Amino acid sequence: MENTPFIHIENLSYSYVGEDGQPIPVLKNLSLDIREGEYVVILGHNGSGKSTLAKLLNMVLDDYTFAEGKITVDGLDVMSPDLTDGDVLNLRKNVGMVFQNPDNQLVATVVEEDVAFGPENLGIPQPELRTRVDEALATVGMSAYARHEPHRLSGGQKQRVAIAGIIAMKPRCMIFDESTAMLDPVGRKEVLETIEKLNRDEGITVISITHYMDEAARADRVIVLSDGHLMLDGTPGEVFTHSDTLRKAGLDLPQCTAVSQYLTTQGIPVCGEINTPKQCAEAILNAWGRI
Amino acid sequence: MKGFAFGQYYPANSVLHRMDPRAKVICAVAYIVASFLCKNTFSFVLLILSTIALILLSRIPMKVVLRSVRALIFIMAFTAVLNIFWIVDTSEGAVPLVDFYFITIYAKGIYHAAFILIRILAMVIGTGLFLTYTTTPIALTDALESLLRPLTAIKVPVHAFSMMMTIALRFIPTIMEETEKIMSAQKARGADFTTGSLGRRAKALIPIIVPLFASAFRRADELATAMECRCYHGGEGRTKLRILRYHVRDFVAMFFVALFIGGIVAINIFGRKYGWLYTM
Amino acid sequence: MKKNKAPRPSSGEIGTDTAVASAVIMNQADHPKLRLENINYYYGKGTPFEVKALDGISLDIHAGKLTGIIGHTGSGKSTLVQLLNGLARPGEGRVLLDGEDIWARPKEIGKIRYRVGLVMQYPEYQLFEETVFADIAYGPRNMGLSEEEIKERVYKAAAFAGVGIDLLEKSPFDLSGGQKRRVAIAGIMAMEPEVLVLDEPAAGLDPQGRHTIFQGILEYNRTTGCTVLIVSHSMEDMAQYCDDVVVMAHAKILMAGDRDYVFGRADELEAVGLDIPQVTKLCQLLRRGGMPMPAGLYTVDAAQETLVRLFSEAKGKKGGGRS
Repeated sequence: MENTPFIHIENLSYSYVGEDGQPIPVLKNLSLDIREGEYVVILGHNGSGKSTLAKLLNMVLDDYTFAEGKITVDGLDVMSPDLTDGDVLNLRKNVGMVFQNPDNQLVATVVEEDVAFGPENLGIPQPELRTRVDEALATVGMSAYARHEPHRLSGGQKQRVAIAGIIAMKPRCMIFDESTAMLDPVGRKEVLETIEKLNRDEGITVISITHYMDEAARADRVIVLSDGHLMLDGTPGEVFTHSDTLRKAGLDLPQCTAVSQYLTTQGIPVCGEINTPKQCAEAILNAWGRI
Repeated sequence: MKGFAFGQYYPANSVLHRMDPRAKVICAVAYIVASFLCKNTFSFVLLILSTIALILLSRIPMKVVLRSVRALIFIMAFTAVLNIFWIVDTSEGAVPLVDFYFITIYAKGIYHAAFILIRILAMVIGTGLFLTYTTTPIALTDALESLLRPLTAIKVPVHAFSMMMTIALRFIPTIMEETEKIMSAQKARGADFTTGSLGRRAKALIPIIVPLFASAFRRADELATAMECRCYHGGEGRTKLRILRYHVRDFVAMFFVALFIGGIVAINIFGRKYGWLYTM
Repeated sequence: MKKNKAPRPSSGEIGTDTAVASAVIMNQADHPKLRLENINYYYGKGTPFEVKALDGISLDIHAGKLTGIIGHTGSGKSTLVQLLNGLARPGEGRVLLDGEDIWARPKEIGKIRYRVGLVMQYPEYQLFEETVFADIAYGPRNMGLSEEEIKERVYKAAAFAGVGIDLLEKSPFDLSGGQKRRVAIAGIMAMEPEVLVLDEPAAGLDPQGRHTIFQGILEYNRTTGCTVLIVSHSMEDMAQYCDDVVVMAHAKILMAGDRDYVFGRADELEAVGLDIPQVTKLCQLLRRGGMPMPAGLYTVDAAQETLVRLFSEAKGKKGGGRS
């Protein structure tokens, strides 16, 4: 068990069906393993195929005409033609997904009823249902809003409610598909802290899709996709050293990483893993002190 | 925009607010039936008294209650006038109160007009108090789903209807807000919705309607995906967070409404028998 | 990474008293393009839910400059933006465009909207025409321009906004998110307003999309001389592209001035919970750590140059002392 990855992707290729029935390739020969408990960020420009990948894991794409390769989630072959409805439900229960637009994923007119939507679908009986809803709201810090109407909440709050709606299904893995892209800085911070908490305290495997480099800097592992190819895979520090590849993939380095790399090229040795202003300042001050 | 509230729900803490929505739906229907059963002066007096009692019970200010009636003033006035002028008393010895060229008014016409006014008022206020004022739209949806559940036996998709209602209620404020945004955006591009001929104004709405539909479809698509991800697979095997439960107060309320209907029926029977006051 | 640093005309006097709630960008060299005078704005006035969205705002926006407006959600910046083109009417106070009250003739407020073009948040949701060309032409057509002039303006605006000629005959609904955004921006640019206001023009776009949009806006500002206002959460973008910056907090103006002035007050920005550019944060930390970092470093390029200079100077001193 220890060594089998939670998600195993092997030679995965996927194409959308174009207007004339021709395949439009999105993912090209991708192989990837994600272990349980990891916090993985998938980076890529718009159209790099990162959202398609996420949707494949959860089986919410409806056209598998041009899908090749293999995906297994917790040992279950997701692309197998003889999956039962029960298998699909179980997969979606285990791998929850939070989307970009907070408005378009809340179903009910009261926060707690929205959180209950998933477990209700799973047929969780009372009183466990009640407990799950209350616990999920507490985890995302939205207990005080249980009886509120979702449309009156801020973007960050809505997104936290959406997260609670997934947690209440007790998933083992959560995918965030650009869940912070439409939020203001305050909302982003709230959501990022919630995501980290889920990974750290609840042990949930997190796959976060984004194009914000500072979010990538906080993850255990960063995967860079560009035009359907896997470009880089490693810790944030490792990935950020490949600044040329990142730029080719349409991504920016975090400003501090860029500064430290530039200084190193200028003969000022600024060493160590540098992803945040604090790390960068320490490294530069170190070099300054050595002069 | 921010103060927008759907429906007429008026938050307060009253017996009516706390009643089970199913009991309220049943009471509202019974109340409509009762107001139609009213036939003579006594029963209409009873109807007026019960309506006043309901308003007091609901703790909703008179002003708010009357606001809902205001919209119906025209219809009420129209029906009343119609009754006054058109009703001809054909009974023996009936003498018109006014007989002036083509205008003839009988006492019966005036009674009829008054009765119908009272009936409309009582129905509107009564159902309003039981349903829209004291019950949130979502509780109402739950109640209807629960009351209509027997219909699933004859393949009526009750759950699907109630899901649709819920989603509609959830998205109405969102779409209203969006409409406002799109209108502002087009105004900023020189759109003018207020001047010109009717045809021109209708055409000016295209820049609103097209983006609105496009966005509604996009939302529907994303919502469907999100619901699938949250294991939605129809009503089968679903549990519910909020379970509707009848309390003693619901049975008491339904008992009183039943008593009320019984009273009216009795008044009708005895009224006819003993020729009490005026009968419709 | 080389970042395009445009030449900036130096500003004149700068308000230095930060205790004053509503500072004014002072610049005597040119007249203010837009002036806000003691503006109060309320939502739900007279109801129990009354909220004061703008509280005694006075502000000058200078002709030809690129001004950034920053602040939290709910700080009043979106309301402010809607006041500028007459989409919202101030409860109290006046909005002056070239010295004239825009509400002097309320019936002609439509004309003000051609002079002050507003690109709202997520403007791609306003596209409705069958072709991109027709959509960009919607504004100019409402202005009653000739077909020839409309065509000319559409091409010009498309070029500035980075909409390729090949896209003009496509349906706007077939474009990618970033392309749609640029089409919507071109739709306002094609009206050739004297002031262009953009509310979060790059929200939700990937880094490349952001650069394209900001570069386009910068170029538009520099070539046409059009006064541009940008509302954004991204401090990094603001620091890189804006001449002047207005900071809003709690329905008031916290500070306003050129970018040296505003980003030189990083501590105050942080105190109201605003992020500061990573580089600015870095310089702040280095200063605290004892390095002689000058103030006003907020772009990667500037910080890199300064650091390299400091290190070589320090090495030079050491080396000189030894020999």
